[in-house]
Amino acid sequence: MTSNDVPGAHVFDGVRIADFAWVGVGPNATMQMAFHGAEVIRVESSHRPDTFRNGGPRPPGVNDLDASAYFAKFNRGKRSVAINLAHPRGAEVAKRLVASADVVTESFAPGFMHRIGLSYEEVRKIKPDVIMCSMSMEGQTGPHAKFRGFGLTLQATAGITGVTGWPDRSPVGTGVAYTDWVATHLGIIGILSALDHRRRTGEGQYIDLSQFEASTLVLDAGVIDAANTGRVARPLGNRDLRHAPHGVYPCADDHTGGDRWVAIAVTNDDQWRRLALLLDRQDWLESDELCDAAGRLAAQDALDAGISRWTRTQTVGEVEQILQAVGIPAHRASNVRDAHEDPQLAHRNHWWTSDHPVIGEMSYESPAWRLSDTPPPMPRRSPLLGEDSEYVYRKLCGYSEEEFQQLIVEGVVE
Amino acid sequence: MSQTTQAALSPYRALDLTSEIGSLSTMLLAGLGVDVIRVEPPGGHPSRKRGPMLREDQDSSLYWAQMNAGKRSVTLDLADEADRERLRTLSETADFLFESDAPGAMAARGIGHRDLRERAPQLIYVSITPFGQTGPKSMWAASDLIGHVSGGLSSLVGDPDRAPLRPSVEQAYNITALNAGSAALIALHARHLTGRGQHVDVSMQAAMANTLGNARLYYEMDGIVTERAGGARAFADRATRIIYSCADGYVAFVRIPASMKALHRWMTAEGAHPRFDAEKWAGISIAGNNLPSDDEVAELESEIEEFFAARGAQSLYESGQHHGVMICPVNTMQDIVDSPQLAARGFFDKVVDPELGSLTVPGAPLKMSATPWRTRPAPTLTQHQNEILTAAATDIRDGD
Repeated sequence: MTSNDVPGAHVFDGVRIADFAWVGVGPNATMQMAFHGAEVIRVESSHRPDTFRNGGPRPPGVNDLDASAYFAKFNRGKRSVAINLAHPRGAEVAKRLVASADVVTESFAPGFMHRIGLSYEEVRKIKPDVIMCSMSMEGQTGPHAKFRGFGLTLQATAGITGVTGWPDRSPVGTGVAYTDWVATHLGIIGILSALDHRRRTGEGQYIDLSQFEASTLVLDAGVIDAANTGRVARPLGNRDLRHAPHGVYPCADDHTGGDRWVAIAVTNDDQWRRLALLLDRQDWLESDELCDAAGRLAAQDALDAGISRWTRTQTVGEVEQILQAVGIPAHRASNVRDAHEDPQLAHRNHWWTSDHPVIGEMSYESPAWRLSDTPPPMPRRSPLLGEDSEYVYRKLCGYSEEEFQQLIVEGVVE
Repeated sequence: MSQTTQAALSPYRALDLTSEIGSLSTMLLAGLGVDVIRVEPPGGHPSRKRGPMLREDQDSSLYWAQMNAGKRSVTLDLADEADRERLRTLSETADFLFESDAPGAMAARGIGHRDLRERAPQLIYVSITPFGQTGPKSMWAASDLIGHVSGGLSSLVGDPDRAPLRPSVEQAYNITALNAGSAALIALHARHLTGRGQHVDVSMQAAMANTLGNARLYYEMDGIVTERAGGARAFADRATRIIYSCADGYVAFVRIPASMKALHRWMTAEGAHPRFDAEKWAGISIAGNNLPSDDEVAELESEIEEFFAARGAQSLYESGQHHGVMICPVNTMQDIVDSPQLAARGFFDKVVDPELGSLTVPGAPLKMSATPWRTRPAPTLTQHQNEILTAAATDIRDGD
């Protein structure tokens, strides 16, 4: 326990994860388990630091590896041990750590763990019931197993980029490392399923998670449609195949800066009539064609133009209020400031504050779920690189003080 | 390696009362072995009528086939007290109940979390809603689009001269469902400790707010409101291009330092005579200090454009990756079906659907060495009506 631990429910008390994963997917998955009480130990090296330790934002002028808020976002509630895996004795230390772990996670290019003697076959010799989860781009096998990428480019392989854009322009993708948010959950679900299986049978296992395969899950019926009919889904802008009007419309300046937009989704005929009434469009109300979705889908250009004429005279807040008051789905296209200040997210206490000796006080996301009976405590801040090395080498790996000092001298602890 | 034939979560049962917002969470659990019972209203769940359809008729939904694969089905009229009582009885035999009604709607019918808690203390009751169970927006009308924009992601998606965008498949629903799956299993492990189920409140807005990368952090630390940048990654106030045209479509490529020497070697090997200075670009980060001028970037990009424009997406992928360049094709759904990587890993499977016949379906989204994934067809309406209700009436479950 450290000083900023607070009491709470530790669902995964006693579960230790040796986390060799880095960047987004693996660390995000293990962080959710750390929130709920797992002891997650990030295996790190200043020689080959996590990409996000060099990322931003960071306090102005502070360039060391502990200054990245992006790294902090993915690593709260964890410990960090410095092990130079490129050093001949690094693997020996890692093996001792693995022997004390329930779960081993990694996201290196396939082959790396094997090269340092930590393949699943080796790891299970040390810890027979271990659960090991590899989370690579395209899986451990196959002709593209060693192809490289990251969330910004993998979403293209995984089909998400191709269905995000305007029909008359090139696709744009989501602008964030989108597949990270998908594969993370397959990692959590895989590991928790394996832990449950082990609890009942005593049997550990290996999980080969391909971020590509995992990410195809969120394509709905896109893949099954192409596989069985040859049809290929195309980007539709903000339109929908079933509902109209359905779009994101320009609003009046509300003096918060930037351009302002509001999403409106009419999902049934009642909502349509209420919208037409609100906008005082007698012609829309009286039209036989527009009374069902098929007719409205055929008239989308005209409907969108009519709605935009109205939204341009309103602020985003006004449109939300007016439409939600009569049950029409509407919400501002929140930007990051809106998300940061959103009253509903504030009500859920979604942004968790964390104080860090280098980064200072910042807020970071919390899980999208709330558990009624076992809410987690506020997580410990993200660790400094190697902050818990002494604990891990001495307590978990069983090195004496002299051996630990010797490993520092030899450059294993770095 | 010892192989059990049991799927990882085979001892468990889930009741699925969700709309499209939750379908994926229970589909995933069904693949992992959970006995998922789709509780449908009389006439069937609305997404049975949702396209794309396999045939001309409106009873051949591939959406239903995909999102409800591996589930069983029972029809209950929850407007009718006798059927609500059947649901309560069923809940005594279940480990999870997933629902996505408006906050309070289940309780108003006597089947909310508190109503079931006494009779079914083991039940993990997962409520999936647009904004969560309480709060100023909890009763707001919503849809996938509303969930998407409410978390902030649309502000980072789309061309700057047009409206913020959502992906044209329901990402907000599906990301939310994945969060619900994770949360349900955390609650299952909590039950191992406490012996009791609990209420799990999942918010679509919160799920989407967690997809903002580091953009919100830049606002909090530096006051920067990052805006959408088309086929580029908006990085605080700088954007780095991702999408390039090629001969038959598009590819994704980011000029990160680690790719630049390899790109130069690759272009040289293909006889393209690259003019850019590989050493220099290998030392230029896409963010931070010492960034190149817009003109320098434009010149580099035009050289890359010209090289990509003469080649096809899949061939750029194969040859670029073999040269160590992080390039990816902008795959269509058909490209995914045709992927040699997925074929080599046996990703696709066949099932015989009682209504649709033989179907090619996506298989396991993760490979677990000791516990098999279950690929099974979606249920027909009332397919398991009698077996489920008869068993529930006689089954006294002994808990976990």
